[in-house]
Amino acid sequence: MRARAVVTAAWLSAAATLVAQGPPGAPPGPPRSPRAAAPVDFTGYWVSVIAEDWRWRMVTPLKGDAASIPITPEARKLVEAWDPAKDEAAGVQCKAYGAAGVMRLPGRVHITWQDDTTLKLETDAGTQTRLFRFGGTPAANEPPSWQGSSVAQWERPPQTPGAPPTLPIFATRIGTRGRALEVTTTHLRPGYLRKNGVPYGDQVSLSEYFDYFKEPNGDEWFTVTTVVRDPQYLNGPFITSSDFKKEPDGSKWRPTPCTAL
Amino acid sequence: MGTLATRLVPALAVAAAFALRASASQQPRPPAGAPGADLHLLPVQGSVSMLAGAGANITLQIGKDGVLLVDTPPAALVPQMLAEIQKLSDRPIRYLVNTSLDAEHTGGNAALIGPAAARGTGGAPFGTLGLNRPAIVAHENVLNRLSASQPPTSAAALPTTTYFLPSMDFSFNGEPVVILHAPRAHTDGDSIVWFRRSDVLAVGDLVRLDRYPDIDLARGGSVDGLIAALDRIVEITVPERLQDGGTRVVVGHGRLCNEADIVEYRDMVAIIRDRVADLVKKGQTLEQVKAARPSRDYDTRYGPGDAVTEAIYRSLSEKRGAA
Amino acid sequence: MARSGVRRPAPLCRLVLFARFAAALLLAGAAPAAAQVDFSGQWAPVYHEDNPERIPGPELADYTGLPLNEAARLQADSWDADRISVVSPYQCRPHSSDYGMRGLGNLRVWAELDANQQLLAFHTYMPAWGSERTIWMDGRPHPPDYAEYTFQGFSTGVWEGNMLTITTTHLKTNYYRRNGVPASDRRTVVEHWTRHSEFLTVITVVTDPVFLTEPLVRSQNWFNDVGQALPSFNCEYAAELPGAQKVPNHLPGTNPYLAEFADWYGLELAATRGGAETMYPEYRLKMGAPHSKPPDRCQRYCTCSGGFGCNVTPPPAR
Repeated sequence: MRARAVVTAAWLSAAATLVAQGPPGAPPGPPRSPRAAAPVDFTGYWVSVIAEDWRWRMVTPLKGDAASIPITPEARKLVEAWDPAKDEAAGVQCKAYGAAGVMRLPGRVHITWQDDTTLKLETDAGTQTRLFRFGGTPAANEPPSWQGSSVAQWERPPQTPGAPPTLPIFATRIGTRGRALEVTTTHLRPGYLRKNGVPYGDQVSLSEYFDYFKEPNGDEWFTVTTVVRDPQYLNGPFITSSDFKKEPDGSKWRPTPCTAL
Repeated sequence: MGTLATRLVPALAVAAAFALRASASQQPRPPAGAPGADLHLLPVQGSVSMLAGAGANITLQIGKDGVLLVDTPPAALVPQMLAEIQKLSDRPIRYLVNTSLDAEHTGGNAALIGPAAARGTGGAPFGTLGLNRPAIVAHENVLNRLSASQPPTSAAALPTTTYFLPSMDFSFNGEPVVILHAPRAHTDGDSIVWFRRSDVLAVGDLVRLDRYPDIDLARGGSVDGLIAALDRIVEITVPERLQDGGTRVVVGHGRLCNEADIVEYRDMVAIIRDRVADLVKKGQTLEQVKAARPSRDYDTRYGPGDAVTEAIYRSLSEKRGAA
Repeated sequence: MARSGVRRPAPLCRLVLFARFAAALLLAGAAPAAAQVDFSGQWAPVYHEDNPERIPGPELADYTGLPLNEAARLQADSWDADRISVVSPYQCRPHSSDYGMRGLGNLRVWAELDANQQLLAFHTYMPAWGSERTIWMDGRPHPPDYAEYTFQGFSTGVWEGNMLTITTTHLKTNYYRRNGVPASDRRTVVEHWTRHSEFLTVITVVTDPVFLTEPLVRSQNWFNDVGQALPSFNCEYAAELPGAQKVPNHLPGTNPYLAEFADWYGLELAATRGGAETMYPEYRLKMGAPHSKPPDRCQRYCTCSGGFGCNVTPPPAR
């Protein structure tokens, strides 16, 4: 009996160790860099394929067209007052190329690792650069910019916010194999959600989820689900998802300047 | 612990079996309808099943009274068909209903007679037949055309029970079996077989999903008759819920269908007919109509449209000539 | 020995037994089970993309963003909206499972577990046409081609990390857009479901050798709405247009409405005809002038954002 107790104690200890370590295969040792820990590879050249919202994305929509966007009456006034010539004259022709709108524009993105903790996303539409920094938070006095300040993480298992800790003895956890890239962006200059002047303001925040998938025919894609929150100009979160297909190289990369129209 | 031999031999046998199986699976399979083709039995609804893979689909109704077949496969596949039927019933085949006179629907008729079938007495109440054969039921025009065919059709393959009114019916395996004539459709001898309790129709080549319908003008077919037949099928069928399920339709070629599939198919025929009719009204020749490719948006689904375009053209022209 | 004749384990042995049980549970939890996300719940669709198309309905001859071939274009050009009324079975025809993701998409998802608490299937219900679907997670094969096709098709799912990839076959003929753009019964649909926080994103990839020149990739979003309750749906046919053409359709070259979409929104006519080329950024380099002088401002569907808050005032006659 005592021998059995010793064996069982050893077994319990092994089991508890396994649980503490997490999924099998995770090597011991110091934590890996975000680049080394990347569950999928987002690097490369990707083209936006416009199969949705075509007449609001591929062309500049007519003035006053804010269909599909839950704008407030205050935003409606700005939509009706949109003047692209004024924007050009004021040097703010990049308003539609800010982080909250640039991923909806037709164009290509080029994603690379600037360093082990920073993923760089460049757009040829408007020649913009976004930096996704893993870890840390932006400085409170960081000046607003078209692309703002983006904090990134690899997807973590879901947890109800504010929930108390539980004893995982009669339950296991799901969602431990996340592959998505989650990006939160703040400190944005006011810009446009669409090229025809549908606005977002300086209180805007942006959450994005990049999901990679591969089709049986070999095509690689990612879809970025974008959630824009703006208490001033939106009646609730504005949610879109944009699809990008991977290209073999940058031969079609064609950087263009911002234009107001 | 056994010897190495006693452990190795079974392992080698298993490995050999897998190798043989893999080898067999890599052999090219015969096409549907060819000798050696795989036949697949699919339960449909109630007492009715469908046999696919014989070229044309075969419908079976099986119960305490025996077996009723709608159409037969090529003669070479009859033994395989009988083997499949044997899995479901050892009762005799009492009735064979032919939906038309097409060889791919009647080719096995004669093979069901005598020792090849050896399935007991024939059908009743219409049959005054000997042993070892089912009653072969078809529209009168099927008998007339098969009797006059060149080369001659074997007597054993000819219908033994025919009808010339719009329909005939009898009860079999506890349900009414209603046979409806579809005049001047695919041919002038088409029948729709309706298993009323099982809620299944067998419609032969009035519907085929593998290519355009064959409007056989030489054997009395017409486009308007075909559309009328399809309308009739739509009228009879009732979906169970929001266009899914309900009355099932065993078509001549292709998957098991229901009303929604027949509606799409009927609409395709009607739209191509409308286009050809418009060109005929404008006085265009057959070559001009073919050049206009009135079926081109359906060709990617049903194949080259020249034959059906010509059949519709001639059918409409005949009608105009007769009017 | 106890009086009943059954030997009860000694206290130490009971503790050992309990510890073994607990260890087994822990080990089971630590075992490399496939990563899963629970999609169960009530999901409310978000129409922040293509709202006018998906709710009030698409404009006639709007084929933008669709990789159509000529066959699809001609079928769509031939489509007459009266067909839904005259061909009465169409009155109750449901959206197929792929289009259903675009349409009135209030959704309930629930999981079916087997006796070992392993996921057997996800089930979905949409009140739009009362569509129920099963997504089999147990590795079963798809039926043979001669089996019946349905509007929901036959779906199986596999996990790719936290993404559920679903393959659906055996789909009946349906549509990519509710203005007659057809979807054939030869199509295969792959979906990728992901859940981020309170949002569900469903990416649909449709391959259709009959009507599309390349896969059609679209993505739709829902948010988790715990207060949502879904009704049942009933539908009966009613004859509406006595004496109408049997199958209403426009003969080739006779549809008078093919340019109005381009005119209302100031677009190049060729762009409205769709095609894979028009979906890529370089199309902007070759896009021609609008079909007619564009309106000065939006005149139609300018404010659609909720369910039915669209303005549909027709533009003034030209």
